[in-house]
Amino acid sequence: MLRSAARVGAIGRNTKRAYVLLRRAASTSAPQETDVVIVGGGPAGLALASALSSSALARSALKVVLVEAGDLSKVAGWVPPPVTWRDKSLTLKPQEIGAWNYVEDGRTCPIDEMQIWDGISDARITFSAHDDHAIAFSPPGAPSQMSRMTENLNLQRALLRHLHETSAVEIADKVKVQSIQREEREGGGWPLVHLSDGRVLRARLLVGADGFNSPVRAYAGIQSYGWAYDTTAVVATLFHHPRTSFQAPNTVAYQRFLPTGPIAFLPLSPTASSLVWSTKPHLAKALLASDPGVLASMINVAFRLPEVSLRYLHNVILDAASSGAPITTEKLQQEIAWRERSHSIDSRSAYSLAADPTGVPPADADLLPPLVTSIQPGSAASFPLRFNHADEYIGDGPGARTVLVGDAAHTIHPLAGQGLNMGLGDVEALSQCIHQALLTGGDIGSRTALLPYARARYFENHKIMAACDKLHKLYSATAEPVVWARSVGVEVLNELDSVKAAMMLAAGSRPSRARPSGAQLGANLAATGLESLARGVSGVRTLTEGVANLAGAGVQRLLQTLSDSQRR
Amino acid sequence: MLRAGPVSTPRWASAVRARSIRAAHAETQRARLSSVAGSQSSVNPEEIAHFSRLSQQWWDERGEFGLLHKMNPVRMQFIRNKVLEIQREEDESSANETLPLSGLDVVDVGCGGGLLCESLARLGGRTLGIDASSSNIAIASLHAAGDPALASTSTSAKSKGTLSYEHTSVEELLAQRGPASFDVVCSMEVIEHVDNPRMFLTNCATLVKPGGHLFLSTIARTPLSYFLTIFAAEHLLRLVTPGTHTHSKYINPDEMTDFFLSTPLPPDNAMSLNGAQATTQQQASRPWISRLYGGAPLRTEAEIRGMVYLPWKGEWMLVPRGAPGASVWAEACNYLFWVRRPLE
Repeated sequence: MLRSAARVGAIGRNTKRAYVLLRRAASTSAPQETDVVIVGGGPAGLALASALSSSALARSALKVVLVEAGDLSKVAGWVPPPVTWRDKSLTLKPQEIGAWNYVEDGRTCPIDEMQIWDGISDARITFSAHDDHAIAFSPPGAPSQMSRMTENLNLQRALLRHLHETSAVEIADKVKVQSIQREEREGGGWPLVHLSDGRVLRARLLVGADGFNSPVRAYAGIQSYGWAYDTTAVVATLFHHPRTSFQAPNTVAYQRFLPTGPIAFLPLSPTASSLVWSTKPHLAKALLASDPGVLASMINVAFRLPEVSLRYLHNVILDAASSGAPITTEKLQQEIAWRERSHSIDSRSAYSLAADPTGVPPADADLLPPLVTSIQPGSAASFPLRFNHADEYIGDGPGARTVLVGDAAHTIHPLAGQGLNMGLGDVEALSQCIHQALLTGGDIGSRTALLPYARARYFENHKIMAACDKLHKLYSATAEPVVWARSVGVEVLNELDSVKAAMMLAAGSRPSRARPSGAQLGANLAATGLESLARGVSGVRTLTEGVANLAGAGVQRLLQTLSDSQRR
Repeated sequence: MLRAGPVSTPRWASAVRARSIRAAHAETQRARLSSVAGSQSSVNPEEIAHFSRLSQQWWDERGEFGLLHKMNPVRMQFIRNKVLEIQREEDESSANETLPLSGLDVVDVGCGGGLLCESLARLGGRTLGIDASSSNIAIASLHAAGDPALASTSTSAKSKGTLSYEHTSVEELLAQRGPASFDVVCSMEVIEHVDNPRMFLTNCATLVKPGGHLFLSTIARTPLSYFLTIFAAEHLLRLVTPGTHTHSKYINPDEMTDFFLSTPLPPDNAMSLNGAQATTQQQASRPWISRLYGGAPLRTEAEIRGMVYLPWKGEWMLVPRGAPGASVWAEACNYLFWVRRPLE
């Protein structure tokens, strides 16, 4: 049901949701009054709807409508396939959404350890949930883990189930947002959301959880700043042999920083894991266009061979692709074997592709991910990477009564796996903000009510995004001094257990409600620091005494020899 | 002023006293322009004209009244907490945490643009907002009309709040509705703008039902308040239009406490205030605060709470009860005052 007024001045687009911005158009149907309209049914939108339906106060006071263009019944009816894994799996820190009970635990994988190393200098840093400090910060009784890997669909289905059970939120799926207009009204109009099924929603608060090309952000007139990284992320689901009983189970995440971009290996199950490889666009294209065997071999090689060989192999692939005859798996494996020989990598060591994945592993096997045997068909995909941050999270003036969460507000490099976590952090802060406003009878769409959300999240998100951006830029450099500096820095950081524990905590490896306060954390870290300092000081004292003793003994012996020689 | 004894004038007061004398002189000349002035009205026409001029800016959250918008959640937090506290004391089960004011008649005297009234209605109160400036009432009604949750009459749910506005003064309301007609009477940032605060306070107190609440918020008359609210806010940072506040009209918390300690309320001549007929019901007239304990009233009778603005957060904060040295810094500028009319 298209109104003629809406058709006038319409700009046709083929983005995910067709949207039109008009300043004056008559609406023929009476708008439906709602309190919160959430545009976008991705993890962030569903999580916000779930959070609002969890709170008794919000349930009784708010009418919430979730609008999603896709078909959510498919998500709700998702049955996890026995062997294959849906792509776009992502890391999730164990936060308390309230819907975690509905997540199928068998399809999630805890991550106990992270091994991160430099592609050029092999400087390594390890984060472990079994660190003394990490255990000290984790809640008692709970298994210590840093995060959980889960599939996107698993999480969305869990959130939908939670929503269906509480049935406090109206879910309008298979419905597109045609346009968002500001009501013509003296003294401030509310946003009117025109849906493709003919309804018009008058929203007290319009939440934009609609991804990178956010129509709500466009309506609010919020600019964003950012740039495109010259990088494409390749994702795939990998199959491999299970880890032997001599090794840690497949709950370790590996990431190697190559100059072309980091390659990350994230475990999903004992025999399946997820790949996120950020690399140059032409390389990504060539890899995805070649045989799955070629991609599997290149993944194995990317974790093992020195960087100079990787460059050579990349060039081999690119040359073959550009000449029209993409390289075959056998040819590539011959090249790899030749490179291994030239680096004198023993065929029995873990760094060789010919290593035996069963039986007793070599000593350094835990430093590397398992050898990939094949790639799940149809799971390989790629997407370009951007850095993007909205100028503000709350709309103002003509765009009043709008707020942005998730990817609509910020887009980040996946190297630290923080994209979803930031979105969920936004949702948590916004739902707390709304709850607080409801307690004092405030208007949840007013700037006064929403400002605490922006104040809580903007700087936090900015810090994480800036840190990831700087890391990306740091590890893209190949100049010798930069490599030296970052390697030394990483190895020093690897020794500072307190700082690593603080980093894990900041990245959210503990449920937020159980997180210690800033002051408490500072006191803990100060105490541990003091302890290590004292230990260090006493060590220095012992060392000094030892040296003094040695020197004294040496001098004594010297004098003895002198006196002996004099006596003779 | 509410003080009964002889007035000692500190040096800093004499400067502002000169200004207030000039203001009073101008005021007598404008008395003819007053639209809602009875011979015993506390309405100051100059102040009303000042706020009428600014009425368009009431709902601009970044404008003239931005600080007031930010103060609103803190005032509502205080009102909510006191009402729930007393409800819990009397009867644990009747305390409604979601809608603490449900079933209560609430009036906001000097509602301005309706900032407080809308929040009171959202917490379930049958709210009436009155103001002496007709443009304020117009702005408030217009804004409330845009919000479907703020109907003027309750539709389906009995416990939901309602909101209505009237262009009237407290004296006229008293004559119209009679004494003891509201469970909660609020008057925020008004008493420092009226001519006769004692009479204004008496009228507000007369409106309160037995066992009802009276909430006031105002500014103390201290050097700190002059520095913050007049020098900094009006002259230096221009956050507020100069001339909004007059330092000599500020009232100290101890003066408020003294008033409720010494004055029997409601006054014996409450019925004949504006010539209205006397009611048959005899209401016991006594001061609302029985005695002070170490300078402070009983928690269930009255309470003073300071509010401070934290510029680095951009938010107001209620100073915690019993903060050390509260009288020096916490209650030395903005404060909330709550007092309860004793039950019969």
